[in-house]
Amino acid sequence: MKTYQDILNELLETIRPLAPNADSLTEDTELMGNLGLDSMKVMNLLQEVEDHFDVSIPINVLPDVRTVGDLARKIHEILGER
Amino acid sequence: MGAQATPTENTIPLRRADFATLAEALDYAALGQTGCNFYNGRGELYEVLTYADLRDQAIVLAHRLAGLDLPRESRVALIAETTPDFIRFFFACQYAGLVPVPLPIPFSLGSHQAYVRQLRTMLQSCRPSIAMAPENFVSFLTEAAEGLDIDYFGAPEDFERLAPAETALRPLQSDELAYLQYTSGSTRFPRGVMIRQATVMDNLAGIAQYGVCLRPGDRAVSWLPFYHDMGLVGLMLTPVASQVSADYLGTREFAMRPRQWLALMSKNKATISFGPPFGYELCMRRLRPGEAAKFDLSAWRVAGVGAEMIRTESLRGFARALAPAGFREEAFLPCYGMAECSLAVTFAPLEQGLKVDRVDREVLAVKGEAAPVEDPDQPFNEFVDCGRLLPGFELKVLDGEGNEVSERTIGTIHLRGPSVMSGYFEDAEMTSQVLSSDGWLNTGDLGYFVGDRLFLTGRQKDLIIVNGRNIWPQDLEYLAHQQPEVRPGDALAFGVPGSDGSDLTVLVVQCRETDEAKRADLKKRIRSRVQSEIGVDCIVELVPLHTLPRTSSGKLSRSKAQQNYIASHDFTHRESRGRRAAV
Repeated sequence: MKTYQDILNELLETIRPLAPNADSLTEDTELMGNLGLDSMKVMNLLQEVEDHFDVSIPINVLPDVRTVGDLARKIHEILGER
Repeated sequence: MGAQATPTENTIPLRRADFATLAEALDYAALGQTGCNFYNGRGELYEVLTYADLRDQAIVLAHRLAGLDLPRESRVALIAETTPDFIRFFFACQYAGLVPVPLPIPFSLGSHQAYVRQLRTMLQSCRPSIAMAPENFVSFLTEAAEGLDIDYFGAPEDFERLAPAETALRPLQSDELAYLQYTSGSTRFPRGVMIRQATVMDNLAGIAQYGVCLRPGDRAVSWLPFYHDMGLVGLMLTPVASQVSADYLGTREFAMRPRQWLALMSKNKATISFGPPFGYELCMRRLRPGEAAKFDLSAWRVAGVGAEMIRTESLRGFARALAPAGFREEAFLPCYGMAECSLAVTFAPLEQGLKVDRVDREVLAVKGEAAPVEDPDQPFNEFVDCGRLLPGFELKVLDGEGNEVSERTIGTIHLRGPSVMSGYFEDAEMTSQVLSSDGWLNTGDLGYFVGDRLFLTGRQKDLIIVNGRNIWPQDLEYLAHQQPEVRPGDALAFGVPGSDGSDLTVLVVQCRETDEAKRADLKKRIRSRVQSEIGVDCIVELVPLHTLPRTSSGKLSRSKAQQNYIASHDFTHRESRGRRAAV
């Protein structure tokens, strides 16, 4: 069973190539605000995240995901429900 | 798993939407074996709903809704995720004499507050007696509906608790409403387009008989949202009213995995699909090298293109990239329409593909006329042939004084006909602004006609006028998009009032570049391209990503960008700009 920290670390690795200009990437980095991902890049990222963690991210969680940490917590929840 | 998608071939004769009401249309479709199929993001079929089952289930649900004993034509708000439940509720309303109102779902990250606000404004506008949200959206609906007077709301399962009415159902009749649609209008002032049964049936018949010319063997695929006119009327109601099987992929699933669109088209040998130019472009960008030949798009005979101004470049790129899959460029079907006309107004002839009219840029700017270019070295503008009016529509192109203009003169498109809306729901003022007492709809769109063909050139309110010359914002934005740092959708152009009555041209461009020297260089490049190509000076302003304003339907809004710009700039500094303009 992966811990939140494991998921966060893997998530940061997944995001890094998509946001090459980000100098610091942490739990609190905002995906759209700080990283400047547009809505299409966000969709691309979600696809990579789904494939990497083998989860399906429900559409209704998106409005409450702002930061990298928010997304890691959601993935943790989804994995925990299995 | 193991479920089989509904077949393409049907057991009953094809009827092309020649029914009086949507309920009658489904009654007939239910006699055959076709239906709709729902696919997840990985391309797996997760639910099959034959039109026969849809009818049975919609009628059961209609009895429960009727049990609430609401006045006829009471509104039923439906959060329109791409699910079988949405279609069941939509048709349950038809049988129960209630009016469905499809409402949007949120796609953006962190949009919780904005979404709830948007939903609440729409609920306040349509005043529903019933509201339904898919299980996973009920919390948003609950928040948005707080304090509003709604008789019954919840997830689809919650409706099973309702006691069915014992009396016979009275479906919506042809002079009653079919649905309300919230597509146009701002977030703060949404406008619910009222479409009657006879109105939508007229448009569906036009689409099926003259636009797409449906025939046995047709099958549709769609990833368009059910709360949009093209998704709802074009790809959900048209298939039901013509007994065509349809395969659905969620909009977000498409955005995440656009190639699933092509996979689904291939798998079921679908013949019809529609999208905005942007959808085709996204798909092409995500295509992997050498992958095209794995798809089989040879059956795709109608690749509809609408909803945005059509630029041919990316569509041609799509056709080239997918030629190995058997995609033919002639399959592109440009069309023009809007929710206020149910959906469709014009269609290009089938198999014509993208036919463009090249007009002299200078004549267009100075005289507002679309004169064909004779000398190929002359600067030109390209407009796509959007085709002919569907039968029943009348067209008038009017100049600024309200006089009808002749062929090849740009003016505002006015339409009249049996597919035109009855008005905006409970908004007489807004209705009277666009709909005249004798039935003419002012679309606000600019265009010209040549013979029986319509060409769309832009939106009236967005036009920039500099020294008496008409400047099309799309042209300025296009030049900005050509810079490597700028992507389509990253630039908005508009005019702001200058001191001498003429407009100052402004281009707001969003970009991620932070280096001052590089920013200055980008601004300089754009400005000089605009100067050399269009011949006007323009103020280029760089803004952070995701700050360009959008309308409620997600389209970039030039008018909001213009308002923001005016509000945030002190116009006493105009002099320095004046000097710059003189350079």
